[in-house]
Amino acid sequence: MKELIKKIKSDQNLSQGAEAYLFSISKEKTFSKGEVLIRQGENVNKIYFVTDGCIRSYCIDKNGKEHTLQFAIKNWWISDYIAIHNDESATLTVECLKESSVIEFNAKELNKMFALFPEYEYFQRKLLERHVVSLHKRILNQLQLTASERYDLFLKQYPDIEQHARNYHIASYLGITQESLSRIRVEKSKK
Amino acid sequence: MKALQITKYGDIKDSLVFNEVNKPTIQANDVLIEVKAAAINPIDKSIILGNLQGLIPIPFPSTSAYDVSGIIVEKGAEVNNFEIGDLVYSRVPQEQMGTIAEYVAVTSMAVSKKPGNISFEEAASLPLAGLTALQSLAHVGIKENDVVLIHAGSGGVGSFAIQYAKAKGAYVYTTTSTTNVEWVKALGADQVIDYKKEDYKTIVKNADIVFDTLGKNYTSEAFEVIKKGGKIVSVVGPLDEESAKMFGMADYKLPEELAKLVDAKEASYKFIFMHPNGAHLGEIKSMVEDEKIKPIIDKVYPFSESVEAFAHLATGRAKGKIVIKIN
Repeated sequence: MKELIKKIKSDQNLSQGAEAYLFSISKEKTFSKGEVLIRQGENVNKIYFVTDGCIRSYCIDKNGKEHTLQFAIKNWWISDYIAIHNDESATLTVECLKESSVIEFNAKELNKMFALFPEYEYFQRKLLERHVVSLHKRILNQLQLTASERYDLFLKQYPDIEQHARNYHIASYLGITQESLSRIRVEKSKK
Repeated sequence: MKALQITKYGDIKDSLVFNEVNKPTIQANDVLIEVKAAAINPIDKSIILGNLQGLIPIPFPSTSAYDVSGIIVEKGAEVNNFEIGDLVYSRVPQEQMGTIAEYVAVTSMAVSKKPGNISFEEAASLPLAGLTALQSLAHVGIKENDVVLIHAGSGGVGSFAIQYAKAKGAYVYTTTSTTNVEWVKALGADQVIDYKKEDYKTIVKNADIVFDTLGKNYTSEAFEVIKKGGKIVSVVGPLDEESAKMFGMADYKLPEELAKLVDAKEASYKFIFMHPNGAHLGEIKSMVEDEKIKPIIDKVYPFSESVEAFAHLATGRAKGKIVIKIN
């Protein structure tokens, strides 16, 4: 929690009251590998800030296949924002790929922060901007880069991920088949 | 709920009927699966024809088939390894047979989460054939560089066994007919023997393991191709004495001819009767997710055409598994 407060304070001042409120609405939790934080189809009202570990969000299509949306490592936020924003049941499953520590927030209580502590709004807006930038980059990369280039960027972004993520997690994140991922890896190992 | 039921022993078209039946109720250790897909196997056909009524008698009517994939919608009080909403697959135990239905109750011990990278249809195709191959080859301790002969490489069990043996690093011989040679090679077999053109006994020498999926003369012939001290594992040949004891036949002796062959080659002979096992399905899940094993489907039928699916199975010409999409 201290790390998160430090991170917020690096962007702007946080009043003592806001800091106390953040403490009061958060819970530090540790989940083991394979534990599910949000399950597709169930109600969702939690947002997680990852302090350690690796967490994956994915959707399951009507045929039962998984498609990875996001990997969250240290200092990343993860939840099902579609469900929270639309106030509907979860469209994603959020699962730990290794033992992970998080700070868990109730989404509604976190939203109250805006009214109670206007200074927090700046942090939240910056956070949202970074999130939009990350999504835009992901879409543009998908549109204009080769699978091999996308894989290179992915490894830069998540240097240790291959220790925890299965091949099909990564392949589905990159939007390629597992065969293509294997081929790309073989080609890279030859260079 | 709707279910495809066996109403009597006999011809497939005369014995299978769609019935409206009660949704199954679960026991403390069961999960209730909303069925997405079921798969059919030769044993399902044999049960309908009445060929197994001595070994596996069934009450009438009984819902057909064992292989299933779907979503857990209810769980018993003592189930703590699954949650409602989990996507799972299973080869259900005999007493819970009946996967060609909208719901099936299954003991959680026989269930595993399905592989995440394949569809419900593909997942349903794996359990029975996969468990048969895994339990057979694991029993004989297949390992890197073992030379193994797998009969009938294009069958449901054979095609899985080839991939499993290759994943373990073995050198794989397999037999198949001319039309399937290339297809079986693509599964990873090192040497494919076209039994219509070649005699496998002149090609395979000193094998460490023979996986006998054909029985009859193939069981005794296996001793001609194994090395001294080799291992034969069969899913269709005569029972071995240990397996016979499990079936309550304490005085059973291995047929004399077979016993002599075992002695002469200082070999081991083991009959494997596949048993439902969720942990083994978990191993298969990992191997599928790592693409060491790929499900092979011949055709997917809609629920309403389940009887046609059985007619296709009866031709014996399917390459890979026959799956029924339930929901």
